[in-house]
Amino acid sequence: MKTVYIVGAGVISSLACGLEATEAALRTGRSGIGASSLFSLPLAPELPVGQASCLSEKNSDSDDMPRCHRLALLAAEQAVAMAGEKPRTLVVGCTTGGILTSENFFWRDDFFAPENESASFNAHVKAKYRRHGLTTVAEEIARRFGCPGPALTVSTACSSGAAAIALALALLRSGQATTALAGGVDSLSRLTCFGFHSLQLVDVAGCKPLDKNRRGINVAEGAAFLFLTTKKPRQCLGVVAGAGLSCDAYHASAPHPQGLGARAAMAMAIQDAGLKPEEIDYINLHGTGTADNDAAEAMAIAALFAAPPPLSSIKGATGHSLAACGGIEAVVSALAGRKGFIPGTTGCREPDAALGIRPQLSLQEAKITHVLSNSFGFGGNNAALVISQVDEGATALGDALADAENIADNFLAVYEYAAVSGVGLTKETLLSLQSGQPVAGRIAPERLCADLPQRAVRRLGRLTKLALTLAEEAVPVATSGIESIFWGSGWGALSETYNFLRGLAESAGRFTSPIDFVGSTHNSAAGRVAIEYQAQGKNLSFSGGDASFEQALFAAQTMIGNTEKALLLAADEGHDRFSPLFDPSIHPDAPLADGGGGFFVGRDRRGAKCLMRLDFLGHDDETPLVNLCKNSFGVAWLTRYCAAIFAGIPQARQAEGERRLSEFLAEFNDMPVLRHRNLTGEFATAQAMAAALAVSSIEAAHIPGALFSDRRDDTILSSGQGILLLGFGTMTSIVRLVKV
Amino acid sequence: MNALLEELKEKLISLLNLSDIRPENFDENAQLVGGELGIDSIDVLEMVVMVEKDYGVVINNQEIGKEVFSSLASLARYIESHRKMA
Repeated sequence: MKTVYIVGAGVISSLACGLEATEAALRTGRSGIGASSLFSLPLAPELPVGQASCLSEKNSDSDDMPRCHRLALLAAEQAVAMAGEKPRTLVVGCTTGGILTSENFFWRDDFFAPENESASFNAHVKAKYRRHGLTTVAEEIARRFGCPGPALTVSTACSSGAAAIALALALLRSGQATTALAGGVDSLSRLTCFGFHSLQLVDVAGCKPLDKNRRGINVAEGAAFLFLTTKKPRQCLGVVAGAGLSCDAYHASAPHPQGLGARAAMAMAIQDAGLKPEEIDYINLHGTGTADNDAAEAMAIAALFAAPPPLSSIKGATGHSLAACGGIEAVVSALAGRKGFIPGTTGCREPDAALGIRPQLSLQEAKITHVLSNSFGFGGNNAALVISQVDEGATALGDALADAENIADNFLAVYEYAAVSGVGLTKETLLSLQSGQPVAGRIAPERLCADLPQRAVRRLGRLTKLALTLAEEAVPVATSGIESIFWGSGWGALSETYNFLRGLAESAGRFTSPIDFVGSTHNSAAGRVAIEYQAQGKNLSFSGGDASFEQALFAAQTMIGNTEKALLLAADEGHDRFSPLFDPSIHPDAPLADGGGGFFVGRDRRGAKCLMRLDFLGHDDETPLVNLCKNSFGVAWLTRYCAAIFAGIPQARQAEGERRLSEFLAEFNDMPVLRHRNLTGEFATAQAMAAALAVSSIEAAHIPGALFSDRRDDTILSSGQGILLLGFGTMTSIVRLVKV
Repeated sequence: MNALLEELKEKLISLLNLSDIRPENFDENAQLVGGELGIDSIDVLEMVVMVEKDYGVVINNQEIGKEVFSSLASLARYIESHRKMA
């Protein structure tokens, strides 16, 4: 098995900038929490925040790079400088993206005023929002360093940073990555600050983790990345020895009261590192300072550890930096081991005796080998990491590793599939598509989740209903045995985000909807599906622009164990105002399309309708597509087994996409090509719908000639033959779907 | 008071999207939170915002909140008495 070394790290928080300054600040026990200078709303309460003071408030007028991107670049530069090389793969945990900049424009342009509700207004301001999407943060880092590999964006709320590191660990161990920059970033924003406030989860007197008078969090910002490699270095900051991911499958925002999911993630991380709980020297708590989190986390620890090791939370020092905190605390965990100290719990004065665990109040010198670092988030998303100071490959084999090593190739077996489009559910969608008819449009809302009791879905927005419908269409709950959920959405829950921000604007900061805030998180759909299926395994959400489906697929094929069953889902909602504003491929005057695809997947090939694998995802625009295929699976498959190509060329990438496609096709005589966005319409996860069409064709062993604009004869497929699904977004993607 | 009760029934049905019940079937004395309607802590917070926005009545204490949101009738009583005080 491969050891994953930390050879570089970068960190920015409200406390400090850089490794040395962060250690120095932790040693003083001071807090970075204070007033924000980034935005103010006339009627809103003053909320203390953790603002990264090392980053200037405004960048130069000529540069409109959002604050989140600037934080990410700064931390990435530190990590890359320390490692002395460029990373090939990026895994970025993020929940805010360019939202702060978007908010600034909304407020300045009076975006939510009724008189500005028009396509022409949208068209006029659209260019300002080009860095709104979460994926643009990872893209910016990839551009800065010229990373040729995939730039993945994990968005699992407050566990994003740790979940990103867990995914990077899996990619490196499986050999699908050799070097990776992984961590998290978030900037302050109105949405998150007033969202948590609407849930009464902000402590206006300052965060006091594990204190008996704790009242909540202080929203903060920051960024942190680990530079990870499987090449044995001369020296390193430590190793990522293990990771555990779980889902509570319990509630949209509250943790399981006994911390069952948290406990499972911790147990898994420790086992994955080949350790026993008693070998952990220090637990870096999630420790947010909310009544519920600290109580649930304490119960989970009490259940897992006979005698818990020293533990502490640094959230009172840094604030709660959402997606960044998992990255920041992974860096602090490495520092704690390397430099031999246990950070204190800034803000905690009277530890809550009822918790049954007693935090380390002030920093103490200690010899630390193995640190367990926890990050939990909305949607019941739990991630735990073990950061160790061992080398020489001293970490032992865990179960997850054994799985990864045993998998000969990582094709996923697809047992069932689903699609939702403008013409209806799976059957209607695929009938139309197979006859070459367009399905673009938006399905009527009453057709979504029609089989579920109204009360169970009353709080759900369109995107979550799309996800639940895809899941139900793919596999009924009762028979599924689904453990894990992999979810992709280019733009997330636009309805809830829009409603929340409009409410905030209209009330000048006074009144906001907690239901909209909870629903607005990118992983709320996957969290809700997990509740429906009681899926308590891995739960990962991706927001990777036009490659969101491919990113979820990549994680699924990397992380699903030999006996595991999972749902792979991807969808986007067409929102009247936000979709044409944010998505560069959606013309402000064009009718909207939405929907997606869903797949019931696992490893066991018995009963599989099709096999599916992501063979390439990345920015390598220099290398011809045919060579990317050659490097990945050899050109013989293309000439002998490939029966058709489904090409997803987003409108905004038309010229470049067509150029690359025609260059590719020149190598193959008379290959049938479907440009599927002509049928699906323009939305980020159109690839998932096309994948469902491919699976259905392979199941029927029959590719209808009507799919192709040059009206070909139908093709009969035999075993080993398949369809190549290409994506021409900001990243290029190559997926093979093969008949068993 | 009765007018307020009827108004609140309509408001909660729309605010919490309880579209499967009608105002005339909304039992004002039934357990509101954690009862048959499936109303939970997030809904309570949503109602807190509505009560402040529409009636100018602030409920920012969990203990009081528990009592206030025990039923629709108690919510109406609380709004009624605190509106008068204002």
